[in-house]
Amino acid sequence: MVEELRIKNGVVYDPINGVNGERREICIRDGKIVEDVMNPKVIDAEGKVVMPGGVDVHAHIAGGKVNSGRIFRPEDERRGREPKTKVCRSQSGYSVPNTFTTGYRYAKMGYTFVMEPAMPPLLARHTHEEFIDIPILDKAALPLIDNNWMTFDYVKSGDSEKLAAYIAWMIKATKGYGVKLVNPGGTDAWGWAKNQGLNDESEDWGITPAEIIRALAEANEKFEMPHAIHLHQNNLGHPGNFEMTLETYDVTEGVKASKDRSVTHLTHQQFFSYGGTSWKDFESQAKAIAEYVNKNEHVSIDTGTVILGDTTTMTADGPMEYSLYQITGRKWTNCDVELETGAGITPFLYSGKVGVHSIQWTIGLELMLLVKDPWKVALTTDHPNAGPFIGYPIVISTLMSKKRRDEVLSEIHSAVYDKSELPSIDREYDLNEIAIITRAGTAKILGLQEHGKGHLGVGADGDVAIYDISPEERDAGKIQRAFMNTKYTIKGGQIVVKDGEVVAAPEGRTFLVEPIFEDEEIYKEMLSDLETKFRDYYSVTMRNYPVQDAYTPHPYVIKAPMAK
Amino acid sequence: MTVVTDVVCPLCGSVCDDIEVEVEENKITKVIKGACAVGKSKLQGHERIKSPMIRVNGVLKECSYDEAIKKAAELLAKARRPLLYGWSSTVCEADKVGIALAEEIGGVVDNTASVCHGPSVLAIQDVGIPCCTLGQIKNRADLVIYWGSNPANAHMNHMKRYSYISKGYFLPGGKKDKKLAVVDVRETSTSKMAELFAQIEPGKDFLLFSAVRAVLMGYEDIVPDEVGGIPKEKIVTLANMIKESRFFITFFGMGVTQSRCRQNNIVNAIQTTRAGHLHTKGAIMPMRGHYNVNGFNQVCTWETGYPFAVDFSRGFAWYNPGETASTDLLGRGECDVALIIASDPASHFPADAVKHLARIPVIIIDPYHNPTTEFADIVIPSAICGIEAEGSVYRMDNVPIRVRKVVNTDYMSDEEIVERILEEVRAIKEKEGE
Amino acid sequence: MQMIKLMVKDDVMSGVAKIPIEVDSLTPDNLFGKNEAEIKAVKVWWGNRQENTGDLFEVSVDGAAGSADEVKIVFEGDLTRVKHIGDGMKAGEIEAHGDVDMHCGAVMEGGRVTVKGNADCWAGREMRGGELVIEGDAADNLCAMYRGEMTGMTGGKVTVGGNAGECVGQYMAGGEIVIKGNADVLAGYAMRGGRIVIEGDAAIPGADMIKGEIIVKGDVEMLPSFKYIGVETIEAETYDKYIGDYAMGEKKAKGTLYVRKK
Repeated sequence: MVEELRIKNGVVYDPINGVNGERREICIRDGKIVEDVMNPKVIDAEGKVVMPGGVDVHAHIAGGKVNSGRIFRPEDERRGREPKTKVCRSQSGYSVPNTFTTGYRYAKMGYTFVMEPAMPPLLARHTHEEFIDIPILDKAALPLIDNNWMTFDYVKSGDSEKLAAYIAWMIKATKGYGVKLVNPGGTDAWGWAKNQGLNDESEDWGITPAEIIRALAEANEKFEMPHAIHLHQNNLGHPGNFEMTLETYDVTEGVKASKDRSVTHLTHQQFFSYGGTSWKDFESQAKAIAEYVNKNEHVSIDTGTVILGDTTTMTADGPMEYSLYQITGRKWTNCDVELETGAGITPFLYSGKVGVHSIQWTIGLELMLLVKDPWKVALTTDHPNAGPFIGYPIVISTLMSKKRRDEVLSEIHSAVYDKSELPSIDREYDLNEIAIITRAGTAKILGLQEHGKGHLGVGADGDVAIYDISPEERDAGKIQRAFMNTKYTIKGGQIVVKDGEVVAAPEGRTFLVEPIFEDEEIYKEMLSDLETKFRDYYSVTMRNYPVQDAYTPHPYVIKAPMAK
Repeated sequence: MTVVTDVVCPLCGSVCDDIEVEVEENKITKVIKGACAVGKSKLQGHERIKSPMIRVNGVLKECSYDEAIKKAAELLAKARRPLLYGWSSTVCEADKVGIALAEEIGGVVDNTASVCHGPSVLAIQDVGIPCCTLGQIKNRADLVIYWGSNPANAHMNHMKRYSYISKGYFLPGGKKDKKLAVVDVRETSTSKMAELFAQIEPGKDFLLFSAVRAVLMGYEDIVPDEVGGIPKEKIVTLANMIKESRFFITFFGMGVTQSRCRQNNIVNAIQTTRAGHLHTKGAIMPMRGHYNVNGFNQVCTWETGYPFAVDFSRGFAWYNPGETASTDLLGRGECDVALIIASDPASHFPADAVKHLARIPVIIIDPYHNPTTEFADIVIPSAICGIEAEGSVYRMDNVPIRVRKVVNTDYMSDEEIVERILEEVRAIKEKEGE
Repeated sequence: MQMIKLMVKDDVMSGVAKIPIEVDSLTPDNLFGKNEAEIKAVKVWWGNRQENTGDLFEVSVDGAAGSADEVKIVFEGDLTRVKHIGDGMKAGEIEAHGDVDMHCGAVMEGGRVTVKGNADCWAGREMRGGELVIEGDAADNLCAMYRGEMTGMTGGKVTVGGNAGECVGQYMAGGEIVIKGNADVLAGYAMRGGRIVIEGDAAIPGADMIKGEIIVKGDVEMLPSFKYIGVETIEAETYDKYIGDYAMGEKKAKGTLYVRKK
């Protein structure tokens, strides 16, 4: 491993430190950015773009659901296969690649951190086992806490302290990073093949999704959590859902954030920005969503932008996957997880020949172009739901080139000209804004800027991406190619990619948050409630439930004390 | 004497994890509670292989671990079509190293799924599978269907812990709140408890699934008077039980996967579940045998993209059971060396496959003697996972559980042994490369 | 016209282990324009190592070709462990003298493959065009899809002189298959188009079919989920006509099964 590294002559984009396309030198010693180095290996980045390592805020890369997606798609696995090399294990897969491939492909795009956003607590060990086999990247995972019977009990009883105690226990037990919600209430109702809207009261539990969202946001803010609650709200993927989306945004208005960030991070909002009353009069309502985000500080979003082509959809939103499967008639896997959550998986083809898919494609771009402040919006494809993560360079080039957008618009279904604002939007992203939506902003949304991610200031992690592209380049094809394969990717001070080839594949770290709940009496009462749940309703014992330390060989622990 | 609680049973796919044992002088002396009779016997153990052995002039001679491992590595490194088989009665950590070894030597890695629930996996690849964790069944399933499976004998705790006999949140009365239906070719101890028992003619499962599906889809009128020996009236009754349930679960066993139409019986079973799902909530689950047969499938999938029968001969993973599964390879006489771990193909494989296995060099890693060790050329004894070694296993419903180390041992673990072989193979290859 | 003869060397298949040779690189498209020495140097997979064709086969070349269409490859010797004959070929002709191993004619797009013997599983898998003639029996999954795919054969013509195994034409979407003998269970499984003619008997054909046509001239073990429509005459023969598979629901049950009247 190179202990010291100097990257000279590069044009640096480091938005967190206010560096916007300046010629700067980056020095790294022992894996961290430093002021200067004595005896470094030198990389000459003359005429090239230098950014912090990419930070993905939301991509399904590991765990039971992802693996079920792999298991049932051998036809996807045979796409993109490559034999093993001296450095790399054998590679398979396109939308659901094997773990090793996931690490290599992200590294080639200059990414060094990925958030797995949906970890079923009962299956948390599985997520962490896959993390061990994803090389290079640092990772974290968000446990699903919203369809949980303990959560339901405390929401019903209004016991916010016990709820906070419980989420503290759960995040620690699963070695998780924060609080994830997926179709709160609705996923549990799927246990009876039913679903729930934002204000529908549950027959079994007597509470509404809105109450669950508000209660979990408040519980989350009782700690200095690095990240807001991470919400995939109710009613994903249905025409006309934008109204419920806006109502959902209002639910956490007025909750005070314990740190400098949003209260609610709303994920893959493309799927929630739909107008119309059916698939026939389906239209984009991205504008209404973007306007709300522009006016309000308590929300941040990521987009879930569509990549045209075949992919594998997967979410804890069981009822949504079922309705998608009913449309396509393709294979469908479902897995309800006792007392906690569920999952559905089905393959899907986004076709430019289909009106609805073409409009969906525009919505993910509209959201990014209409939200004025790039710190509030993150680039995702909700991998692999709206498309695989290796489509990011396509999205980047599309955001940076109005010309490319117009070319695609002219090739896909003509409905886009009537049902979407995209054709009339002239805005083009610059490299600084790209750096925000792919690393600086995402690191801030996840609270990782305090922990060395998303920037190149002294003390930050030595995670650097060098793209072989001139800062002035406007050609979409060249931009796409440059962002697909870096000139160099450096992870923790080590060169892991050179000229688009993986040259080293070190193990990554797992980032965990440990919320510290102070009131021991309340914590004990919560534990006693939990013991009852395990004794009577779970199929495993409480002692065998928490994820053992063996599953995080390289942990990075973030303590979250109670908010003042 | 000490009591150890929350011990995880390393026997069948139910992976019971609430077992209590007494340990005295580094031995499990008593199983206090939680385990079934078969599990108890596994936990208490029996006569072990004492030492590594290498066959010399037709006779197994004791040797050191180092010698056995070195010899094994030499055989594997030069093989042109090596098979690495077993992996279901060991932990995922060992499976991982085994996959890396297969990749390193351009071999085929396969687990016991190919002779039990491999067909279920193939079916899932055609149509997916609506399933759930076992606790969901315990709390919600008011109709339990066992099809070609007899848990009362094969998975003794299954009904009591998770299904028909258990009590759950929405079913506090236990079996009073539930119905049980059984489809099987013969009367079994499970079928005797059932409200509906359909005794099907062997090999006719596919037809019966199609008939139940047709009724669930609303085409009762086209179904003939009798299908596979079952009168139409009973078929309609079964379909109505499904429709009237709030949550139905079908558990199927090897009676379905290993009879005529094989994996396609499961394709049809899954589609029957989907048809039922049009009326109510439904799920379906294979009754998996070895405690970690699923774990290997999980690990192999995330590491290679495919669940079993993975052929690395071209450097990347190629998957095609029927061609690349161990019984295919051995039955066709393709392999030139085999490494067998934690399984006994001599007892479970078809005769032609066993015959070929006996003709080629065989390395076996196992705690116990079995018919395969009889003709193996290198025998490497190992620690028993779940008793002497810890690690991950995946229950039949994909729930990962860490099995515990309850007592100490001088035996090397499966993981260590395979890791050592891999290191030796790499050293040989490096030398050759020079 | 150019004739390339490839005879498997005796010692290749004489060991305890019969390790398959994979010859997807030995198609008319790929060998066109190569002289004997160059053909001998073409790599083929034998187990986990690549070997020269000349080390595994006796090679002889006769005549010249102006395009791949004019190249004919003849495989001889023990072919029971020679896989992927004609896999992916687009033009020319291949003749195999003997029983061949799996994936013969898989993904082929054009040209013609004749097997003068039996073909093992997955012959004509995902075939797109061209012609495949198997003079003996075909094993399971003839013209089927690869695992997990929802499309099998989409074009071309396949004739089997003898019997065929399970799942003939699974997920078939186009083209034609003619079986002179019997077909084992589930012929035309999940079929989406095309035509299968079975001159002998068939067990539970047409399961989950949503389009396409299956014609059986011998005895049929019927599925319980097909609807009887009536009698129809095809080429002067009387057939019972069924529509299915109703297990897929009425909207999707658009497959046709004809069974010759006794």
